[in-house]
Amino acid sequence: MENLIIEATKSAPSIILNAETRIFVISGESYPENAAKFYKPVIDWINNFFDQQSSEPVTVNITLHYFNSSSSKVLMDIFDILDTAHSNGTPVTVNWRHHAENDTAFECGEEFKEEIEQIDFNIVEFLDEEP
Amino acid sequence: MMDTYTFYQNMKRDGIIFSFTGPTSQSVVESIGELLRRKMELEETKMSVSLKVFSIFVEQMQNVLNYSAETESTKSPGNDELHYGMVTVGKKDGKYFILSGNYIEKQNTARFQSLLDRLLTMSKDELKTLYLEQRRKEPEKSSKGAGLGLIETARKASHLEYVIVEADKDRNFITINAVI
Repeated sequence: MENLIIEATKSAPSIILNAETRIFVISGESYPENAAKFYKPVIDWINNFFDQQSSEPVTVNITLHYFNSSSSKVLMDIFDILDTAHSNGTPVTVNWRHHAENDTAFECGEEFKEEIEQIDFNIVEFLDEEP
Repeated sequence: MMDTYTFYQNMKRDGIIFSFTGPTSQSVVESIGELLRRKMELEETKMSVSLKVFSIFVEQMQNVLNYSAETESTKSPGNDELHYGMVTVGKKDGKYFILSGNYIEKQNTARFQSLLDRLLTMSKDELKTLYLEQRRKEPEKSSKGAGLGLIETARKASHLEYVIVEADKDRNFITINAVI
């Protein structure tokens, strides 16, 4: 399966979904004009990925400085897919990374964590500028 | 010729940082948003405050972009319509405010009104519950998922108010003021 790589723009995050290492990375800003449209290939890719028969663990690293309400809806959909995959036997760990001063991103992480049932959801704080 | 000095001075007096009126686009959202962030950075605004201002700015601007009932068709494929409206950001008595205005269809007015009236009476906890609930719902066909953006604006604002005036036969004009 081919990896999915989407380069970041001012209002859309960088996306790197690696089928080999089984590490997914979403980072940057997310307020595209049409979030459902922007994330459609991401959701399709993830769905296809979990259709493959493998139960090796998957790690998802998310660092979003800001995302709008329609991106939030799509992220919820992605977490639901991951949750289902986890209950079907593929362990999924999500690392929700936020800058120490970004309380909003921290709270958003907490709100996703509350809504998720199965996957390991870690909220990780970082201090410097590195994403 | 129109003298803009008085107009400009009045805007300054009202604490307006910028005011946009006209056809909106995603690139306008991005570039004004970037300027707004830089301006707040220069003023050493706390990250939590500047993120709230930025967040409401984006939601309100994209609201105009997606739902304004003042449109102009374009010939380019894919980009079928321009949506008009206005968004103003300012700071008064130490508090940022985002004021937005656009036409809405008369037939959608009741929906906006009942949602906004509901939001105005809700506590932050109730708004959070509603936000999480709406986030999981499939978007209504006609609304393109509107509503979530308004709930988000209500959650981030310390004070929210709105007014709807009758504009013409088919449309009303809605103004929303969100104070951080």
